[in-house]
Amino acid sequence: MFGVIKGLAVTLAQLPKKKVTLQYPEVRPVWPERFRGIHEFIPDLCIACNQCARICPTGCISLSGSRDENKKMRIDTYDINFEICILCDLCTEVCPTEAVLMTDQFELAAYSRDVLYKDMEWLYENHVKHGTYEKLQAAKRQEAIEAEHKMAEAAKAEKDAAPIAERSASAQATASQVASAAEPQSESGVSTPAPTSTATAQTTTPALTSPVAEPPESAAATPADKGGDAS
Amino acid sequence: MASLWGWHTSALTGISFLGMIIGAVIVLLLILGIVSYLIYFERKVIGWMQGRIGPNRVGPFGLLQSVADIFKLLIKEDVIPTNADRALFLLAPVVAFVPSFMVLAVIPFTATHYFTAGLNVGVLYYIALSSITILGIVMAGWASNNKYSLLGGMRSAAQMISYEIPLGLSLLGVIMLSGSLNLNQIVAAQNYGHVWFIIPQIIGFVVFVISGIAELNRTPFDLPEAESELVAGYFTEYSGFRFAFFMLAEYVYVFAISALATTMFLGGWSGPFLPSWLWFAIKVSACIFFLFWVRATMPRIRGDQLMGFAWKVLIPVALFNILLTGAIYEIHL
Repeated sequence: MFGVIKGLAVTLAQLPKKKVTLQYPEVRPVWPERFRGIHEFIPDLCIACNQCARICPTGCISLSGSRDENKKMRIDTYDINFEICILCDLCTEVCPTEAVLMTDQFELAAYSRDVLYKDMEWLYENHVKHGTYEKLQAAKRQEAIEAEHKMAEAAKAEKDAAPIAERSASAQATASQVASAAEPQSESGVSTPAPTSTATAQTTTPALTSPVAEPPESAAATPADKGGDAS
Repeated sequence: MASLWGWHTSALTGISFLGMIIGAVIVLLLILGIVSYLIYFERKVIGWMQGRIGPNRVGPFGLLQSVADIFKLLIKEDVIPTNADRALFLLAPVVAFVPSFMVLAVIPFTATHYFTAGLNVGVLYYIALSSITILGIVMAGWASNNKYSLLGGMRSAAQMISYEIPLGLSLLGVIMLSGSLNLNQIVAAQNYGHVWFIIPQIIGFVVFVISGIAELNRTPFDLPEAESELVAGYFTEYSGFRFAFFMLAEYVYVFAISALATTMFLGGWSGPFLPSWLWFAIKVSACIFFLFWVRATMPRIRGDQLMGFAWKVLIPVALFNILLTGAIYEIHL
């Protein structure tokens, strides 16, 4: 008997409390970071390894790629058949370069089935509009600024060490040889600290894979610069 | 004007017959309006108790939701199953629905009884007519030619018949205290005595509320309508306007039971300061809110527990109430 009365009290106490309803079209829900909506695709990062197409449980991804002049695989077409995509996130998990990710867009109802066949253009546009485009651009700018700082510091250090350079000319020769060997590595986005003029300094740190392609010109320019300067 | 509304004080004339018809039509329209907004308020109240807002899109504050629902039901195709017993199928909603309106004839809405038939056997009339609805439900269950409907109809009939007995018995105490079956006089007794019958008849009131909820087939006694058990019970095969009839019948009964509870136990239209119809409205609204509140709170009672509860608990308690009332009445007089 008293259980009923306690129950009635509980429901009555609910009356003045805040309601959990979201007034949907006017108020959008706030999604967590890993929400699995439609994909975004960054063609620059894709290496056409076919892992996403292989792991897709419904086989909705189809892609084609080819080798470009530098013998690197580049992506030519990339299509997701959204009619059968189950938004399971496996393709984003296996992608080695994080070229395909998921955004928070889910309101994709269409009046025609043709619209549901998402090609590379659409997915890249999705990347720009609703995906990580802004974040990646900001990260790139940040890296560029940091690289400039490092160049400035390296230039200062070189000026201070200029008198010492004449004494160890042989050390310079070996340094320039190692620097030229290090050049091809730097093209693939490895950030090498600019080799300093002193003999001790030649350390090429092992490749730190960063998703951002470091503009190779600045890194390649510095060893060439130094090599030219020393000799 | 007196002759227009004078059908129960003087001999029937043409003009007072016209008054009866006008009164009936007015009450009919009022009740239809009340019932459609009863459905809206039920959804709102239950929604608020469940941490969500009820309908709020259709019209301002969702007020046109009931209109939209009823309109949708009206324009639906009238589907009659091929193997259904056609005459009974068509008749069942009518038989279920008409008594729910007829019982409102004896409820005193206001102090001046313009819309009330002052039947000297008002309580008996009410209880008798509400039994005819059970017939309609059994007809619906049988005529649908569908095992779920039949089961639902049988369960519903068993439940409603079993709970009619404590319903009637609980009212006996009030009748003993007021000395009349006439609802107008029962309210008058509470008005002049300045004590509502809920206070001396609290046991009777509790039994009345429980059996009233069971009579209405509402949660927690809504086994005949349980979607998870019987698809939709006895109105599985009904669609469109016929379904609307059953829904309307249920909600008119919600209003009628609350009105009866108000009349017999809560003093009807009596109360200080405010006009009598307003007091009646407030009390009926409180009863109806209680019914919604219980629906939002309690889970469903099992079939066997349901019947056992009626026969083994409510009837003895109601009988005990009658004994007690009689004993105290005798001792005090």
